[in-house]
Amino acid sequence: MSDRTPSQTIGPFFHEALRWPEGSHVQLAEAGKRIAISGRIVDGAGAPVGDALVETWQLSPLGRTPKAAREGSRTYGFARLETGKDGSFRIETTLPGGDVPFLDVSIFARGLLKALRTRVYLVDEARVRGAKLPAALAASTRLKTLVAVPAGDAEYRWDVRLQGDGETIFFAF
Amino acid sequence: MNDMTRPLDPPYDAPDYGSTRLRAPHEPPMDPPADLLDVPGPLVPRAFVHDGDNDLTTHGRSAPLGEKMIVAGRLLDADGRPIRDSLVEIWQANASGRYHHPGDNHDAPLDPNFKGIGRTFTDAEGWYRFVTIKAGSYPWQNHPFAWRPQHIHFSLLGNAPVQRLITQMYFPGDPLLAIDPIFQSVPDPQARSRLVATLHLQTGIEAIALGYRFDIVLAGAKSTPVGI
Repeated sequence: MSDRTPSQTIGPFFHEALRWPEGSHVQLAEAGKRIAISGRIVDGAGAPVGDALVETWQLSPLGRTPKAAREGSRTYGFARLETGKDGSFRIETTLPGGDVPFLDVSIFARGLLKALRTRVYLVDEARVRGAKLPAALAASTRLKTLVAVPAGDAEYRWDVRLQGDGETIFFAF
Repeated sequence: MNDMTRPLDPPYDAPDYGSTRLRAPHEPPMDPPADLLDVPGPLVPRAFVHDGDNDLTTHGRSAPLGEKMIVAGRLLDADGRPIRDSLVEIWQANASGRYHHPGDNHDAPLDPNFKGIGRTFTDAEGWYRFVTIKAGSYPWQNHPFAWRPQHIHFSLLGNAPVQRLITQMYFPGDPLLAIDPIFQSVPDPQARSRLVATLHLQTGIEAIALGYRFDIVLAGAKSTPVGI
């Protein structure tokens, strides 16, 4: 067994400690199409999860691993933001490269003893199913929970349900 | 992704911790796509951390109340290699058990000289070090008489997403550990013990601060070079 340090919950009092300036506006070294992803996180009763921390990680518009910023204090390719009291979040970023662009997402909150890891795809479900996926994931009737819904040219809607009907797919790690 | 690492972490559904009831997923987690971004990063520029960010006792006009302490340790990967130049962020309650946070309604005094927030980077050997005060215990309403053991929250980015970890450091000998559902949610007692710092006098400052050692081991990252 590995001697890894176990996970513990983030609790409800992380906000000021983990708040990064402009944390919801992802910067990248390369220019590309700017987009926004908005949504809401709800619990098993449909109540807003108003005290979550959301982090995203993605490829650059050219499909590359984001580099270290040469100047300043910004971290490329990475978003860190808090949900509002109504469970809402909004990430402004640049459309990642690749045929099936996506953002990897981690969710931390009180009541989560370990982060939840998921993904949001920015193409339609048919194209996601055509991507190289583990068989169980490709066959899942819940795959649509990983697919953002376009809401205009540069806006996407993606809601997360932690538990129950319409439960979002979360990954083992 | 590594089966051997799974039993170390707490389950999502931990009935003794009431807040898990509506937040723990019911569906089993699925294997992730192979292109999960297990690539080095995110890379936080050094300019993100300022001198003094790791000394929580100097962020007010004068010294905070409480037992001054040093917590220092190494950030390592599962093979025991140091994780260099990696961001470590901490937050904690003040000596009275109150967080500098608008959501904390505990009827204990705020300390105007203590915000309880620190940041640092690990050095070339994976070492980090914070100067702070011992956090107080506080009631948390999990049941009418529930109190959290004294703890410091740690956030580690590692140097690849697979290493990302948020955890809590506890203090040796705290009688609340035996009955804390968050600490006890870690099923393996050996793994649980790795959340408890070790008293280490020489890590302290002579006649000024008590010393604790707390090493943190993150998951391996096959695609990640040692240090970035």
